[in-house]
Amino acid sequence: MTGDLYRSPERDGGTYAESESAAGARTHWTGLMQTLQDLGPAELEHRWESAARRIRENGVTYNIYDDPQGANRPWQIDILPLLLPADEWRKIEAGVIQRAQLLTLLLQDLYGEQKLLTEGHFPAALLYGNPAFLHPVVGLKVPAHSYLHMLAVDLARSPDGQWWVLADRTQAPSGSGYALENRTIVSDVLPELFGESNVLRLAPFFRAQRDALTSLSRQPNPRVVLLTPGPYNETYFEHSYLAKYLDLTLVEGADLAVRNRRVYLKTVGGLEQVDVILRRVDDSFCDPLELRGDSLLGVSGLVEVVAAGNVAVANALGSGLIESAAIMPFLPGLSEHLLGEPLKLPSVATWWCGQQPALDWVLGNLEHVVIKPAFPARGMEPVFGSEIPDDKRAALLEQLRARPHDFVAQEQVALSTAPVWERNGLHQRAVVLRTYVLNTGNGWCAIPGGLVRVAEAQGSVVSMQRGGHSKDAWVLWDEPIDTFTMLRRREEPVQLRRVPTVVPSSVADNTFWLGRYVERAENLARILRSMLPRVPRAQPAELPSLLRLHGCMNMRYGRHLPNGIKRRPANFPALEKDLLSILTDAERSRSLPSTLAEVFRVGGNVRERLSADMVLLINRLHHSPKINNAASLLDHQTALTACLEQLSAFSGMERENINRGSGWLFLSIGRRLERAINLTRQLREITRPLSSNDWSYLERLLEVADSSMTYRTRYYTTLRPMPVLDVLMADDTNPRSLTFQVSHLVDLYGKLPRHSPEDLATVNKALAGLRTFDLQSIEYPAANESDAGLKRLNRFLGTLEDALLLWSNTLSTRYFSHARTLPVTIGQ
Amino acid sequence: MKYKVTHRTTYTYNYPVSVGNHIACLRPRSFSGNVLLGNQIVISPPPADLSERTDYFGNTLCFFAVQQPHKELIVESRSEVTVDGNLRRLTPETPPWELAAASLTSIQTAEGLDAYQYQFDSPRIHAQQDYAAYAHESFLPGRPMREALLDLTQRIFHDFKFDSTVTTVRTPTEDVFRKRRGVCQDFAHMQIACLRSIGIACRYVSGYLRTYPPPGRPRLVGADASHAWISAYCPGHGWFDMDPTNNVAPSDGHVTLAWGRDYGDVSPLRGLILGGGDHKLKVGVDMEPVEDSPSA
Repeated sequence: MTGDLYRSPERDGGTYAESESAAGARTHWTGLMQTLQDLGPAELEHRWESAARRIRENGVTYNIYDDPQGANRPWQIDILPLLLPADEWRKIEAGVIQRAQLLTLLLQDLYGEQKLLTEGHFPAALLYGNPAFLHPVVGLKVPAHSYLHMLAVDLARSPDGQWWVLADRTQAPSGSGYALENRTIVSDVLPELFGESNVLRLAPFFRAQRDALTSLSRQPNPRVVLLTPGPYNETYFEHSYLAKYLDLTLVEGADLAVRNRRVYLKTVGGLEQVDVILRRVDDSFCDPLELRGDSLLGVSGLVEVVAAGNVAVANALGSGLIESAAIMPFLPGLSEHLLGEPLKLPSVATWWCGQQPALDWVLGNLEHVVIKPAFPARGMEPVFGSEIPDDKRAALLEQLRARPHDFVAQEQVALSTAPVWERNGLHQRAVVLRTYVLNTGNGWCAIPGGLVRVAEAQGSVVSMQRGGHSKDAWVLWDEPIDTFTMLRRREEPVQLRRVPTVVPSSVADNTFWLGRYVERAENLARILRSMLPRVPRAQPAELPSLLRLHGCMNMRYGRHLPNGIKRRPANFPALEKDLLSILTDAERSRSLPSTLAEVFRVGGNVRERLSADMVLLINRLHHSPKINNAASLLDHQTALTACLEQLSAFSGMERENINRGSGWLFLSIGRRLERAINLTRQLREITRPLSSNDWSYLERLLEVADSSMTYRTRYYTTLRPMPVLDVLMADDTNPRSLTFQVSHLVDLYGKLPRHSPEDLATVNKALAGLRTFDLQSIEYPAANESDAGLKRLNRFLGTLEDALLLWSNTLSTRYFSHARTLPVTIGQ
Repeated sequence: MKYKVTHRTTYTYNYPVSVGNHIACLRPRSFSGNVLLGNQIVISPPPADLSERTDYFGNTLCFFAVQQPHKELIVESRSEVTVDGNLRRLTPETPPWELAAASLTSIQTAEGLDAYQYQFDSPRIHAQQDYAAYAHESFLPGRPMREALLDLTQRIFHDFKFDSTVTTVRTPTEDVFRKRRGVCQDFAHMQIACLRSIGIACRYVSGYLRTYPPPGRPRLVGADASHAWISAYCPGHGWFDMDPTNNVAPSDGHVTLAWGRDYGDVSPLRGLILGGGDHKLKVGVDMEPVEDSPSA
């Protein structure tokens, strides 16, 4: 949805109101109007709010690149659908399907024989002058229905009621996933109306899409992936949503590799061949070897694999060629020539200045048109002819004369308006309908309805990039409808699948770090919660013990710290200041908010692999206003408790709600590893002998490790270092002990594909050491210098920590590293 | 004139490269006046996969992937080519250049359409008013195409200084135009930019240039160069090659390797590598005349 922007001119002719004519409400809107009246404003407001909440909680977002607040901006939706009667829809459907047929033939010819050029049906300048023309893919044999696997058409209705095509999206059309999400939400918000309106369902369209993708490969069970530019792309939410809905593996360019003229997915189990790529990466970015060398989003060598016929890309590489308004004036003629019938759905009046008569007309009628770049790649804001100041007019005319084929002029359509619900009632807003056509290989099918985009205010532009809203579109059918959902029908044979879905290396990487960050946050929150109530009213003697605990947070004390924060706070005010900074400073590395931000970031990268509830929790943890804005220490305690509750809920779901595939293994390994590393640090503190003042450290430590009860049931209230060490280090029945973590690590690692016993050697040795370490024999505190027991324990724990850190690196190298290496271009 | 050409490219890396995907545009084209008798491309380490494809401009591209860790990549292309300067000579009678430029837009023959594409902007060359103004000093109203072309070639030769220290393979024509310095690739881009800015179709030619040892000295192996020049289209008369670096119309001493819209289409060896760290590039070309017929 990049770069498009529609504006309705202020004009005397008025606009078409979708819901009403001069005679009152249009017939097909009366049901909706009645429902709104029955529900009343209060109920509507309530429903609108619940829809908004659901969007936030489901993490439905639309990112805006330029806006600092733009990343993960919640999707804006209006709860009232745009209604389309059956007969009207039949006409639109026939029109957009014909358009998809025509554009496919056009692409096929321009990337094939180019007879349209030699026979003079299409101006060669429009091909050669178009920067979107991909020379390397000319003549490649690709499945005919991959050219426009899906086409998006933006439609507007002029005051006389006629629909016009404003634009075609031909290479990686976005928005169908949002249309699906809108439908889910709106049909839930207005269930009565949806139930009785006989609305054509969207699911059959997506089922057809899944089948169409499969049919692009000759393999019986092809692997289909969705190639996304990544989480920073404006429509990333949609990529992950569609991947989940269509049962595709969501991948980034770095997850794929070309070997022997085939594309492979790098997974934790090794390389797996990919047969079909549904791509959301623009044409020229798809292959840094043959296309744009500076692209980090593509797959090096992809074009050569396409040439060898070993992978199908949808939409086919190069299809962006006709995403140019300049082709519009030629479509009526091409339709007669290629299809032998007139064009059913007209394009908005367009003049391509590359032809002399068109240029002459445009130069004389500037005030009636919008001037746009002929080729979107050239990047230029549209210029509204009627608004050009006199002093800029000459410059524009000069530009048009100098490079006429780079420009088109278009008539402005006065957009129709539809009612939207806002806090204070109904308003009329300009709308544009984006609808989608699918090429199944056996025929064509249009999504019934589509995505409606709404201008933000009366008379303003329609653009998602500028913060517009969207709507659902309902086709009110006049025949029985297919109520199929993507859940398969009962009579359909289903093949049982126990094989876990593949885990791309990058997913394993993110999942591993999700486990580590969640555990790091939990450890931090536990230590903070244990310290907070004590700091304001502690006796001076307690300071050393609190400082030991403080040291266990493993904070970094670099140069970029707020004033007055020191590595070893010397007194309570200094300590309190540092704790507050750890609690609130999102800029500070390893602070609680920045650790939660990491959880949110890596969690977002694997969102489609987590359950909806886990995504919800991650969102809450990151956005919780309580945690971010607590005012007093007391508020902080409440916030910390809430945070810990959410973290516990997360770990509960981790155990209960995730399928035990490789993805879960990496999450658990990350968590165990982080916990083990934290524990070795906490336990080593004990081996630096505690003075009588430090004794309370033991109590805090048990609290942090949630093992106070375990300890008390065995040792009652007598607090001694060796029993504490036994409970927290050696006891393998305590799920919080070090031995428990390490032995689980060994187990979990053994379940990974391609694991290697050598990689475990040091950890296994450490585990044996943990199990056999003779704590009984250690004198505490050491009786004299020659008693080496405590030092030996300190060294042992130090070695264990090093072994764990080293093992983490080994794991990265074995399973994640190839997902991280970026290719370098040479010779260009 | 017959030549044995050896074109050897060596990449040396600081660290091992685990995987390298490459495209070589190193097999000379074969056409009347530039006939390819044989070609062999030898790659070390041996590639795991190798395939060939003819690109949109008619050049043969060789795709190969090296999948074993390596710190050095050597690609050597050995060719035998016969060049006939007589077949390259410009026809003396050419129409006024304006006619040549204007008639391009209306030709629908395969040859005309093929030529027409070279009139448009390409990734590295964008037409500009400045360039048009520079070109118009040679392309005076009504002047025959051939004469104007020779004049522009000699002006670029005199106005621009050969200097291998100021530009790289990525230097934009704007910089070259401003600094008036560069190497053969820059001058070729410059002349193409000038010609396209006034509506003449023009392509970039990569190839080899024979060099002559000082009198009485033996020919030095590997002293010859990988070279670039241009070719401009005159409807009805065909393509005219011009070498602005040497102010000559290529004859027996130029061997054509490939052509495209600009350097990006025909760079001799490009690729994407994983790993490697910093790299060093060494290119050596050797052009050995096989039978010494008197130069035409």
